[in-house]
Formats: sequence, structure tokens, C-alpha cells
Amino acid sequence: MPNRLSRAPLALIVGGAPRDASDAELAAGLIARQDWALGETWRRFAPMVLRTAERVIGTRTEAEDVAQEVFYQVFRRARTLRDPDSLRSFVYSFVVRVLKSELRRRKRRRLLFLGAPSAADDPLDATAADVESRELLLRFNALLDRLSPRDRLVFVLRRMDAMTIQEIAATMDLSISTVKRAMAHASSRLTHWVDTDPGLAAFVESKGGRSA
Amino acid sequence: MTPPTDRLPDDPPETPALTALVELRRAAVKPHAPAELQRGLATLRSRIASEGSSRPALIRGALFGAAVLVVVLGAVQLVSHFRAAPRAGSERPPVALQRIEGGALVEGGYLAEAGRAGIQVYFNEGTRFVLQPRTRGRLREITREGATLSIEEGAASLNVTQDPTRRWAIEAGPFLVTVKGTVFDVSWDPTDERFDLKLRRGRVVVSGPVVGGSIPLRAGQHLAIRLPLAETVITETALEESARDDSARDDQNHEGDRDDSGTDLRRAPPRTMPPPVSAAPGRAVPPRRAVASRSPPDSSEPMLGDARSASARPWPALLAAGQWDRILAEAERRGVEATLEQAPTEDLFALADAARYSHRVDLASAALLAQRRRFPDSPRSLDAVFLLGRVAELRDGDTARAMAFYDQYLGQAPDGPYAALAMGRKMILARDARDLAKARRIAREYLVRFPTASYAAAARALARGP
Repeated sequence: MPNRLSRAPLALIVGGAPRDASDAELAAGLIARQDWALGETWRRFAPMVLRTAERVIGTRTEAEDVAQEVFYQVFRRARTLRDPDSLRSFVYSFVVRVLKSELRRRKRRRLLFLGAPSAADDPLDATAADVESRELLLRFNALLDRLSPRDRLVFVLRRMDAMTIQEIAATMDLSISTVKRAMAHASSRLTHWVDTDPGLAAFVESKGGRSA
Repeated sequence: MTPPTDRLPDDPPETPALTALVELRRAAVKPHAPAELQRGLATLRSRIASEGSSRPALIRGALFGAAVLVVVLGAVQLVSHFRAAPRAGSERPPVALQRIEGGALVEGGYLAEAGRAGIQVYFNEGTRFVLQPRTRGRLREITREGATLSIEEGAASLNVTQDPTRRWAIEAGPFLVTVKGTVFDVSWDPTDERFDLKLRRGRVVVSGPVVGGSIPLRAGQHLAIRLPLAETVITETALEESARDDSARDDQNHEGDRDDSGTDLRRAPPRTMPPPVSAAPGRAVPPRRAVASRSPPDSSEPMLGDARSASARPWPALLAAGQWDRILAEAERRGVEATLEQAPTEDLFALADAARYSHRVDLASAALLAQRRRFPDSPRSLDAVFLLGRVAELRDGDTARAMAFYDQYLGQAPDGPYAALAMGRKMILARDARDLAKARRIAREYLVRFPTASYAAAARALARGP
């Protein structure tokens, strides 16, 4: 190997570090299937995706699986992104899609495999700090399991992720009136189930909440 | 309980009990730690690298067609099966733990050894994990598609039944091994921070620190990683006849590893058996090469004459398949000077990696410098600065030159993918040069910026100091 090449002076780099990239630049990187864009997309959006998924699904492990699927799909289908500035909405649309699919799968599984343990009962997955809270969360998760995937998603996005009705409608590709109906339906059913579950009401009471 | 804060007048009424439950659930979701996020990213990269090993579109199309045919035939068979035996249950059973010998599953999924003979874990579809005596292991997860075993300390032999639809994973310390159907031995020594994997059959993808992303391994390769030295070593070992036979069966499921002439690239014997090779930290076989190999070629980049026709697979794909000897042979066939002047950016990077793995550091250096000279604006150009530092260390222990490269990288990419490694190497070089004041200064900065990265233990030891 000629030595002259190995002693060539280095050129200065032009361009900023990937972390400075705008969403549009990031989208362009994803479309070009550049590795840095994958890493940066993950760094930028994974905390949000994981948080939403865990709030919807109820277990950390399954939320991690959902996040993997979301980013895998985002990377594979980046070319379908029409407006590079709307990368966040693009990612969120996959979150909703994957979560909906996962909730449907879980519902089917419960129907097909009666008695099979739900993910919330997974002994390898502990989320809550104390036993009482854990018990409350398990019971609340069981109630959420009784909602339709659409109603459950609307309820969680609105009440736990604090999204507006308009944002939910845009993300889930629903009309505003449909979102409002789903929200009202989910709230009334959950309220009824919580109030008619004496064990749950007592637990809530002991934790400081007051049943109506 | 936290009072509700963000209910709007438009929201339907709900009882305080429901509000309390909502708040409890919201509060129960804790953010993921940086290490968890890093592991998630490594898993994602590993999946993309392993599933995208540049299977040509035609083959993919043919496979899709074949899959459709199989589904149709399967559906027909299913219908006839149900007619004959309606309750026989034709669905493939989910993965389930069958039995554990030599120990028991205890709280948290830990495998508690009953005696001193190790533990054997059997699954219903034939997969077997054998944990060596005194190995601390944990079954983190069992799903319908597979399981995740975590080895916190010790060694294990794993025989994973081949099924491309299953998902098996082994965590060994900070490393993640993604497997399909394979037989391999893996160990993790947390004291020396040493990871070893000997692959006897099939293929795996390893991801974690130092490797920078993921390393696809093929049968007969031994991967050893020493975190304190940030050293990745891949050696070829002789395959046993039985393993070869098994690999032949595996190969039927990896059409993507054949070139257009039908030559099986994975099984083609190397022209010369490569010696033990040492890869620089951070980029043993970076996943971006595998990813990039699926990208359409940049028409603005010059192609390397008829090199493409001679080697049907792009060099990044050859590198991802561990065939760096083929890359070097191809470069020499075309002429090294011509290659350096004409090869596209991805090929130059693959050449640099292949040269580093084969200890041809002059060639690696030349390829990296050519990368910077010809493609100064490409992301690879910045990566090349860090790798030139590694090459300077490998070539003749030119620590001053290596330091200069690491400084340059950190100056241009303070949050770049190799920032932690560059700073870690600077710290080690200063320590080895007995410039302890400088080493400690870097160590303290390292701990602030990268408290959980690969050199954190060494930095803590230095920062404590005498």
C-alpha cells in the first residue's frame, strides 16, 4: 500500500451532527435508509412510543415488543411518508396501528384460549412498586381488556396521554364525533364497572381515591 | 393519589374512583433508562440487519409466490384435515417450557441450580438450553414464538430448533444474541467483562457495546469481545463434519446467501483461512452496512468497473456475511489503487473493515483516507476519523496520531455514535502512557457524559485513583 495515501491530510467535515437534524432531515435519512437516521429516530421518539404503548397495553415487556414493531415498520415504510415535516405523526400512526392490532390479537387469544394467562398476569413482568397498587393495576387492566380496541385506545390517548380529541381523530383516522362517542362509551362503561366492583372500589378507597 | 389535572369540560363525566385509577396507571409507567433504550435500539438494528441480508428482489418475489402457494396448499390440507379429524388441532403449538433438570425456576424467572451439574431447560418444540455449573441465568420471557434467556454470569450451550418464524434471544451481559435455528456456546464473565460466542451451526446476530451495532456470525466462527480493551476478535474454527452436514440443511433456508451464479457464499471455503483477526471497537460489522446493502445504489457514485459482475453481492453484504476474505481478494483482482479511486463509498467502507479484520492495517488506513478524500460530505467520512484512530493504534502503536484522530472526531461529533468509544480510547491511551492526570480528567468527563457506557468501569477505577 503506498504510504503517500496513508499520510494524506484529512479534510474538514461539512454538516452538523445527526442529533441536530430536523424532523424533515430525519425523514430524508430514513427514506435513504441511513443508519444514523434509524438511531436518531429511535432516540427521539422511542420514549414517547414506549410510554404510550405501556399505558395502553399495561405491561412493559409487551410495550417493548410494540415499540420494536413500530420502529421496524417506520423504517421499512419510510418511503410512504408524504410530508417529511410530519414525521412525528407518521410514527404515531404506526403506534396506533400496531397497538390496535396487538389489542385485537389479545382479544382473539382470550376468545380462542379460554383460561390462558393474560400478559398482565405474567409473573416475569412486575411494574408496580407496591402490592396494593399492583393489584389495582391488574384489575383495572382487566376492565380495559373488556373495552373494544378502538374505545380503549381513544380512552388511554385522551386520559393518559392527554391528547386532544382533534389529535386523536387525526392520528386514528376517525371523525371527531366518532372519537367523542368512543370516549363517552369507554368512560361510562369503565365508570359502571369500577362502581359495581366492590373489591376495586374498596381498593381505590384504601389508596386515597373516593368512589362516587 | 395525584389529583386529575388535564380533564377538559368536553370530557364525559367519570367518578373519582375511575379518575384515581387513571392517575395510578399513568404514574405507574416509568420512563425507560438509557441502557434499556440502548438495548432496544440494538435489538431493532439486529432485526433489521438479520432480516435484510440483501435477498434479491427476484428471489423475494419467488419466495413470496412460493409462500402464497404453500398457504393455499396448506389451507386445502387444513380443510381436509379438519374434515377427517375436526378436533385434532392443526395449529402449531405455542412455545412452552417443557421441563427443567438440575434446577428450578424461581421468582423473577431466575434459574436456581439444585446441584453442581448445571441446569438443562427443555422446550416443547425441541429447543434446549444447557447452563454450565454455577451459571447465573434467568428466563426473562417466554412467548408463543420463543423465549429470552439472560445470562448474568457463566456459560451456556444452546440448541435452538430451526424455525424461521420463532423468535429466540439470548442476553449475555450487555450483549444480545438473536437466533433462529442454531447450535452455539455463549458465555459472559462480568468480572473481566468478556463475552464469548462459538457458533457451531446456523447463524446468529450479536449486538451490544463495542460491536457498535450488530455482527452476523456464521457457522465455525468464534467471537470474543473484551470490553475493557474494546477489542473484538473473530476467529475461524474448523467445523466438525456433523456441523457441516447440519449447516447444509440450514443452507436450504438461506437462499439469500447464494450469488447469482448459484455459488453458496457462506459455504465457499476461504482462499486462505484467515488468521485470528482483531476488529477495532465500535464497528466489527456495523449494521448500517447490511442496511445500506439494500439501498438502491447512488447513481452519482462511480461504480467499480466490472467488479460488480464478478462479485454479484455488494461488498457490504459480503462483509455482513463474514466474507471479508472475498472482498480483499476482489480488491486485489481489480487492483488496489483502482479500487481506492473508483469504489463507491459503501464499498470503500466495507474494504476498510475487511482489511482491519484481516490485520491489513495499511490497506484499512488507505481505504479510510480515500473515503475522506473522495466523499468528504458523507456520514462515512466522519466515521472514518474515529476508525483512523483505531487503525493508528493497531498499526504501530502511534498513540499521538490516534489521540489526534479521536480529538478530531469528538470535536466534530461530540454526540456521534462513536463519541463514547473515542473518549474511552483517549482515556486508556493516556493511562497506558502513564499520564494519569490526563487520564483522570478524561475519566471524570467520561463518567458525566457516558455513565453506563463500555469504559465506565475503567473510568470509575481511574477517577477513584490512589
